[in-house]
Amino acid sequence: MTIVVLAKQVPDPEALVEVRAGGTELQIEQKFATNLFDEYAIEEALRIKEKHGGKVTIITLGGPKATELLRTALAMGADDVLLLEDPAFLEGDGYATALTLSKAVATQGADLVLCGRQAIDDDRGEVGPMVAEFLGLPHVGAVMKLDIGDGAARAERAVEGGREVVEVTLPAVITAAKGLNEPRVPQVMGVMKAMRAQIPRTSPADLGLAPSDIGKAGSKLKIERYFTREKRAAVKFIEGTPDEQAAEAIRILADVERVV
Amino acid sequence: MEKLLVFVEAKGDEPRKATIELLSETRNLSDAGSFAVTAVGLGKISEHAIEKVLGYADRFVRITDGLLDDYTPEGYSEALAAYARQEDVRLVLGAATQAARDFLPRTAVLLGAGIASDVTAIGWADDPMTFVRPMYGGRVPSRCTFTGYPAVVSVRPNAFAVAPAGARRGEYVEWRAGVSPDRIKTRVLRVERESKGKIDLMEADSIVTGGRGMKAAENFALLEELAAALGGAVGASRSVVDAKWRDQDDQVGKSGKTVSPKLYIAAGLSGAIHHVMGMDTSGVILAINKDPNAIIFNYADYGIVGDVMEVVPAMTAELKKRTGR
Repeated sequence: MTIVVLAKQVPDPEALVEVRAGGTELQIEQKFATNLFDEYAIEEALRIKEKHGGKVTIITLGGPKATELLRTALAMGADDVLLLEDPAFLEGDGYATALTLSKAVATQGADLVLCGRQAIDDDRGEVGPMVAEFLGLPHVGAVMKLDIGDGAARAERAVEGGREVVEVTLPAVITAAKGLNEPRVPQVMGVMKAMRAQIPRTSPADLGLAPSDIGKAGSKLKIERYFTREKRAAVKFIEGTPDEQAAEAIRILADVERVV
Repeated sequence: MEKLLVFVEAKGDEPRKATIELLSETRNLSDAGSFAVTAVGLGKISEHAIEKVLGYADRFVRITDGLLDDYTPEGYSEALAAYARQEDVRLVLGAATQAARDFLPRTAVLLGAGIASDVTAIGWADDPMTFVRPMYGGRVPSRCTFTGYPAVVSVRPNAFAVAPAGARRGEYVEWRAGVSPDRIKTRVLRVERESKGKIDLMEADSIVTGGRGMKAAENFALLEELAAALGGAVGASRSVVDAKWRDQDDQVGKSGKTVSPKLYIAAGLSGAIHHVMGMDTSGVILAINKDPNAIIFNYADYGIVGDVMEVVPAMTAELKKRTGR
């Protein structure tokens, strides 16, 4: 089974993000991590390989630092990696990014494509389904349990107020949600091996893409401005005995804020 | 006149609240003569839901096709894209429910269109139209524009207020999609529903979330009672879900759900950044924690330093006294 995982390096959830230059730029503290949901996707790919055999390839789109994500994945047990590295690839919207990734996936002949349900920086959650559509494949989104069978997979996904069990024919795209698995910690031997690994790179031309179709230039949604969220006023503490605090809280919520 | 297409999602017999919020907003535009609004329902949808939606839209189009009886992202995306293409619409809109966020990206690809997901505000009169969407877990809102149309937009529940249905009643039309059977490669085997009356976290007007300070799974009954008195839902922090006190579906935060209710009550939770990212855009935030230095107080409008086991039942009792329930 040929499994491809699409993963993204994102600022660490705790990294400081500041709006600069009148809202035209973001300054992000240089602390990065593999996107949480993509870690579940990588782990699931490795578990499927261990059970059914095959090969796991991790693809990421990013700058030189994104090699860290790929080395971590290699250390976890991935067989192969691919870095889409070119200034033209960067700062794309969901459409441009998914178009690019779909071309990269197409070179792999994948039976299964896994990715996280959304990246925690852009919070778009678009790329998985869009890659599937570009490739003419089905997808199952926000999956919490996955069983691979013969030419088909059975996936459980959370829907509002319950769970849905879906059968999907392979090849397919699966997007991972929390609950799918607990990602492993790489072993020292794996880390050593990953440190020495060569990281193959692909350019837009390799994928038959014109710079005008991808990244910022190819985006159909442009970010005009970033804002700083207005901070809430300092917290107002409600004093008294528990009963007095409760009564005062309800009074405020009902009569002042009018939310109950 | 330029056309807006609004995807209608129903829950049982009723259109979803988030759909009605979106239709309330677009009806103002239709009343002002800015856009013609067509509501679109796919597959099975009750007479009652159609009736309700007709109070908000100029037209309700039900796209009929046996292949749309069950939700599949392939089927829904193709049917909606086909209708949008035929009608030459400006925007395809939908409430950012799990289903819409699942299939609208595919609709965008089929239309060769851009997509803005989980939008919290729209500048309809701006030229070009602007869309605000939160990034970095709501910490950084961004204002976006499309380079061309049509475009696809999903709108976060609770972004717009529900208005009462208008006096005007739209027309009802059926349209046959002709979904390609070869395209459908997913099949829903079964749906496991939880308790029927449960209010969805993402659509709830008020949420009471418990953290580790609740001390045990059974103490969440106190939060259930307060939520019931408020007509809201109960959420859970990550540590509570990891401890298996509550289901994964209840988790609010980075790796769970992003919510934006009018009232958010944080009971016995510390306020880890992962959690705050999932609830920071809520209207009024009340935090209850025994530790006066708990980080959650930095994100709250009101704070109670005290024991959740005492304060929460007292709030429930006070609320019942007031409402006579």
